[in-house]
Amino acid sequence: MKIGIPRGLYFYVYYPLWYGFFTSLGHDVILSMPTNKEILNTGVSSAVDDICISVKVYHGHVKHLLGKKDVDHVFVPRIVSEDKYKYTCPKLAAMPDLIKSAFRKNEKKLLSVVMYMNQGKKALHEAFSEVGKKIGENDDRKIKKALKAGIELQDKATMCLRKEHNFLEVVSSIQNLDSLLEKPVKKERYTVALAGFPYDVYDGYMNGDVIKRLQDTNMRVVVTDMLEPKLYKHYTKYMIKDLFWHQANVAAKGGMYYMDSKDIDGVITISSFNCGISAVYEKLLDLYSKETGKPLMHIVVDEQTGDAGLVTRIEAFLDLIRVKRGDGLVAS
Amino acid sequence: MHRKITYTFPRMGYSYAAFESFFKILGYDVMVPDPSNSKTLKEGVSNSPQGMCFPFKILLGQFAKLLKENPDKYFKIVSLESYGPCRFGYYSPLYNKILEDMGVTNFEVVNVEGIYPPWYKGVPRFIKKLVKLVGWHAPWAGVRAFVIAGWKVYAVERLERKFYHLIPREKVSGSSEKAFNRAFERIHHAPNKVKSIKKILNEELKKMDQIDHIDDVELPKVGLVGEAYMLMDYSNNLEIEKKLAYMGVDIDRSLWVTNWTLDRLLKTKQHLKHMKEVNKGYLDFFIGGDGQESIMNTILYKKKGFDGVIQVLPFGCLPETAAKQILSNVSEDYDVPVLSLSFDEQTGDAGFVTRLEAFVDMLKSRREIKSKESKAKKAESVTTR
Repeated sequence: MKIGIPRGLYFYVYYPLWYGFFTSLGHDVILSMPTNKEILNTGVSSAVDDICISVKVYHGHVKHLLGKKDVDHVFVPRIVSEDKYKYTCPKLAAMPDLIKSAFRKNEKKLLSVVMYMNQGKKALHEAFSEVGKKIGENDDRKIKKALKAGIELQDKATMCLRKEHNFLEVVSSIQNLDSLLEKPVKKERYTVALAGFPYDVYDGYMNGDVIKRLQDTNMRVVVTDMLEPKLYKHYTKYMIKDLFWHQANVAAKGGMYYMDSKDIDGVITISSFNCGISAVYEKLLDLYSKETGKPLMHIVVDEQTGDAGLVTRIEAFLDLIRVKRGDGLVAS
Repeated sequence: MHRKITYTFPRMGYSYAAFESFFKILGYDVMVPDPSNSKTLKEGVSNSPQGMCFPFKILLGQFAKLLKENPDKYFKIVSLESYGPCRFGYYSPLYNKILEDMGVTNFEVVNVEGIYPPWYKGVPRFIKKLVKLVGWHAPWAGVRAFVIAGWKVYAVERLERKFYHLIPREKVSGSSEKAFNRAFERIHHAPNKVKSIKKILNEELKKMDQIDHIDDVELPKVGLVGEAYMLMDYSNNLEIEKKLAYMGVDIDRSLWVTNWTLDRLLKTKQHLKHMKEVNKGYLDFFIGGDGQESIMNTILYKKKGFDGVIQVLPFGCLPETAAKQILSNVSEDYDVPVLSLSFDEQTGDAGFVTRLEAFVDMLKSRREIKSKESKAKKAESVTTR
């Protein structure tokens, strides 16, 4: 069977797990193509207009997969929580319902599951055995084995992230993560940290290829999901109260950690327009950057984003970093 | 340094009268923020994060005005919060950070959250918060204040319901509004006894009944669903209920302070049953805020024979936006017109009224068509006989 996985939202976090699970059950995993204009447009037209751009893009990806004839199922999970007492955004918790309401004709093709990532392996096993049943796999032992393979792959991917390989590299070399682990990371003179939800940071079409643009100008790019959660635990005190959303916590605390660390030159947050949650952590980072004096830039993406304005802003930010280091401006 | 503390709380609709008396009975000073105007809105909007919920911006502006106008007083801002996936639970830390950043220091935010897991930590934390909020009191004093405040909320709601019921039926336009305003003031300043509140309520209800009105008119019925704060606070939803009522619509609001607290905190059985039955296939999952309730109430309104439903939501509200997309399907399946109105700081009066009028006209014509059809059917059945 061929399982389609939309290249959006939590694909950028749990793809290794899903990939490992489905492939070791003997199914093929088909990804939708990277976001492009067509996907964006179909997404914008099929989702409600108030919703954030990332969700709209996700609609586009799902539609793209539904249109493919050889895809048997499209995997749309409902991810409720990722950590103890930490949830995902309400829109994401309602994701299968939203997708169902948008594409009612193809309701049967959707493969949805409630995933609690926090409640240990048992809950995860239950959830995935439900997925298994829907795609005709009733053998419990096989599912256990597949899930184990998936978790192994996910752990390996996390290790790659900790070694500062970004998630896009993980996706492109998913079959050979061991070699990625050994690959050294290039050191550069400047390092820029990106804070934000993985699905905003890594979606190159939406954010004007920030990562590539920075790498082209000889900057090392680190992302908040590369950090070990232990490192930024103590920032809860500054925030008064933990945020309820795991990814927002990672972005906020990770951003603060990067602002405090010496080898990071500046922090850029990337969020999508009308994303309510990023409004909260962006304000926290704003206030924290006032205290530490680290350069901070917010990039908010929407469906109208033009490249030109963004390039200018990034260039200006890089100039600021250079000046702060005392290197002066480089004529380019 | 010990300073006298003045309490303040988010103002929401007419319920502020009850909250005010709660603190007064316990013997504290209390000040209610003024309803928002363009100046407070501007201040709130410019200081809060750009994508934050609209209610937060409103409240921030109101609090900032209050704190700045009374620099000699020390305020305790009471913030009732949830602990859930919705942003409502992160209001108080942001009040703290942002007001400090604005250079206001004469305040302290006390957030009272519900009991959230793990319960062995949650219950003591809740009690601790309550003590921090109102200080040590004899339990009966607290209970008494709570009961009286509850009665005031109830009384105001009864009056409000009567008021919206009377507007489209009154013969002299404006007469029921006058009566309601007087009644509200009386309840607001009623002595702190359950008996006297009851007495005033009965008197005023009788007086409102005596207003010259026609009872047996067929009016289009509209239900209001949506986000609790925007729905209940008349000053920020541009008095949508009053406007609709003056257009000659029988309106019913789904969320009131009493049923909101009862359903939410005590989880009444009927509420849970409705939730389960009705939301099946649309939104089977709790997503925080009032998202599920919006869908549930829309369907319940249809079953009760309402002609249309209006969803009121602040722009960018996380759960309501999700509900909005699903509501379009509900509207299709149940054949009930749904109008989603999202409010933000730019909402103007004129365009808003036009949309409401268009919606009401549509409902009226639908009614006519339906009554014609049913008449034709009746005639048919007569002739075939």
